[in-house]
Amino acid sequence: MKISDIAVDLPWRFAPDRPVVGLDIGSRGSKAVLLTTDEIHTTFVATGLYMQETADELLARLLRQTGLARQDVKFVVGTGYGRISLAYDDIPYQVVTEITCHALGAHALNPRTRTIIDIGGQDSKAIKIDPATGKVVQFVMNDKCAAGTGRFLEKAAVLLGLGLDELGPVALAATAPAQISSQCVVFAESEMISLRARGERHGDGSARANIAAGIHYASARRVKTLLGRVGTEPDLVFTGGVANNVGMRKAMEDLIGRPFAATPIDMIYAGALGAAVQAGRLASAKPAAHGAANGHAHPTHAAADHPLHHRHDLPAGIRLPERVAKPAHAVRAAAQADD
Amino acid sequence: MLDIAHPDRPGEASLSADILPIRALIEAEQRDFIDRQDEIKRAGYFCAYTPPELLNAAGLRHARLFKAGDAQIVSQGEHYTQSVFCDFSKSCIGAFDRNGGDPFYLAVDKLYNFHTCASMKRASEVIEQFVPTTLFNLPRMRNEAASRRYFREEILRFRDDAAALAGRPINDDDIHAQIVLFNQARRLLKKLSELRQRGNPPLTGLDFLELVRGYFYLPPERLITLYQPLYDRLSRTPDDGARPVRLMITGSIMADGDRRLVSLIEQEIGARVVAEDHCAGLRPFVHELSESGDPFAALANGYLDQAPCARMKPLEDSLSFPTCLAQDYAVDGILYVYLKFCACYGITRQAFVNHFQDQGIPVLELSSDYSQSDHGQIKTRVEAFIEILNERRHDVDLAAPAH
Repeated sequence: MKISDIAVDLPWRFAPDRPVVGLDIGSRGSKAVLLTTDEIHTTFVATGLYMQETADELLARLLRQTGLARQDVKFVVGTGYGRISLAYDDIPYQVVTEITCHALGAHALNPRTRTIIDIGGQDSKAIKIDPATGKVVQFVMNDKCAAGTGRFLEKAAVLLGLGLDELGPVALAATAPAQISSQCVVFAESEMISLRARGERHGDGSARANIAAGIHYASARRVKTLLGRVGTEPDLVFTGGVANNVGMRKAMEDLIGRPFAATPIDMIYAGALGAAVQAGRLASAKPAAHGAANGHAHPTHAAADHPLHHRHDLPAGIRLPERVAKPAHAVRAAAQADD
Repeated sequence: MLDIAHPDRPGEASLSADILPIRALIEAEQRDFIDRQDEIKRAGYFCAYTPPELLNAAGLRHARLFKAGDAQIVSQGEHYTQSVFCDFSKSCIGAFDRNGGDPFYLAVDKLYNFHTCASMKRASEVIEQFVPTTLFNLPRMRNEAASRRYFREEILRFRDDAAALAGRPINDDDIHAQIVLFNQARRLLKKLSELRQRGNPPLTGLDFLELVRGYFYLPPERLITLYQPLYDRLSRTPDDGARPVRLMITGSIMADGDRRLVSLIEQEIGARVVAEDHCAGLRPFVHELSESGDPFAALANGYLDQAPCARMKPLEDSLSFPTCLAQDYAVDGILYVYLKFCACYGITRQAFVNHFQDQGIPVLELSSDYSQSDHGQIKTRVEAFIEILNERRHDVDLAAPAH
């Protein structure tokens, strides 16, 4: 695909000077993006048992797709659940968290993005970004629990006898979404079973649609509490595999009261795109500024004063550690960039 | 961005060579507590508001009971609690269980519990079925004169109880001598911590937590003879090398045995914990007790003056301490860490996070338990946070005038 067909704002600032690859090894599916000076290529495989094999397969597919050779790839950035397992002998690479990558990916597609909802196979997150730079300002992730994640929807689809792809479209036909009160997959499952039993007894054909919609609203409520912690400033962008679920999109938009910004590519690739954008930056950065390849960038040391720490008067009784001279490189904590 | 290409044995906390001999002595002291055949009674206590000065003055063997982190012990505690108790309070109960408890806890003749949060108070009500227990009141309103008078009365009751356990009276001169001794030990801990204010600290966060462990397990005389030469040696090491990302941890107790977050930060990710505002970190070491006058007033005032936990009032006191630490230790970011179901830190979370954000200090909140199953998620969050901090350092660097 030509980048000129997908970018919201042109000229596009994120093109690398030589081909770079972003790999997003997720808990359920793995995604890859290859960027050239004017094209974007994507590919997807189910995550295998061995992350490096999954990564190798993704890279091989991209090379087949583009006709490029392995040595043409200037830099690889890995992200996602399986990022830690990545290693290459022959290509410079780096590992970056999916939070940073989703922010960069959404920003590269739509520079007006301020808030991201990312729902993946086993976690969901809300990310607030600085629209000037695409950098993360704040993020919140769900607890270690499947509610409000792709895994929960997968489970619900099975219980309703639907394919995962059908769950969203079926939910759109709901006339009265069922009330699923539980936030826990295990309890929601038993609620669904009893709802289903009731629906069948009354011969109501829309029971399945209502339950499917109820499941999406239950998940969306969960995700909305994450959003509540970072705010919902537009443009609001939905990333991750669950972004393709129309039922979830509708439930989220209903609860938030705002639409998601339209996106020109399948947002399951947002993390991989962000990784590729970061790979492009690292490939063109001078080694002195970002550390050698195959190591990990060591940030340069800040030499600034610290005017933003206000010293508050201490209440009676609290004594502080004795003062020592400030290290010359005491870092300044800048004000939040967003407001 | 992060130095995570070669994590060595994730989850295993390793200590600097200087600290290893101290760990060995702590282990030996714990074995003595369990096995040594003598007539000396063993006293245990949970909370850092307990003055060990009195236990030491009575000649008792004593230790703070704050081991936790073992999922098996937690599940033993769950026989007695509901799910809404935190894993630490469950661990305290589980460790006293006659079947499969912790031998260190089972060696305790008497448990002292200063009433802090509701969960720990209820936990001690279960534990008193297993071991003689005395509960003391700890006033919340730390700045009220009446609180101080009342706490002094509780300290007197504590003295009488400890004297009865030891079978000997505790005289005021002994208490005075212990105050001087413990002040010396606390000052040493504070000075050792302050070495972490350097650009490249000679002590890791894991090292400091081990030194704090020593404070709660070793007799103070022994501690002083160990820690003074350590301080002398470390303070002579040159402050050179790269400046790591500097983090502060604030929040609920980080138990002896709960090292996975700090090992993740320091050993897997390569950042440093340079300060900790919790009751198994720096909090107990910032106050000094008066060494003259009424020793009971000195104990009451001194312990109420220590950096307060979230259970104390007013909350502003609890916010000021970490704010000052953040400045003195030049931290790049703060982790607000609390145990799931903790009613104190779960509720003050909002106030802390907003406060730090108002100060312009990035803050990440993490709630966890001892189940270990969320390691991957926590790692992702901490790494992403450090990526943000590195970006900010980079921005500051770009904004700084050229030299």
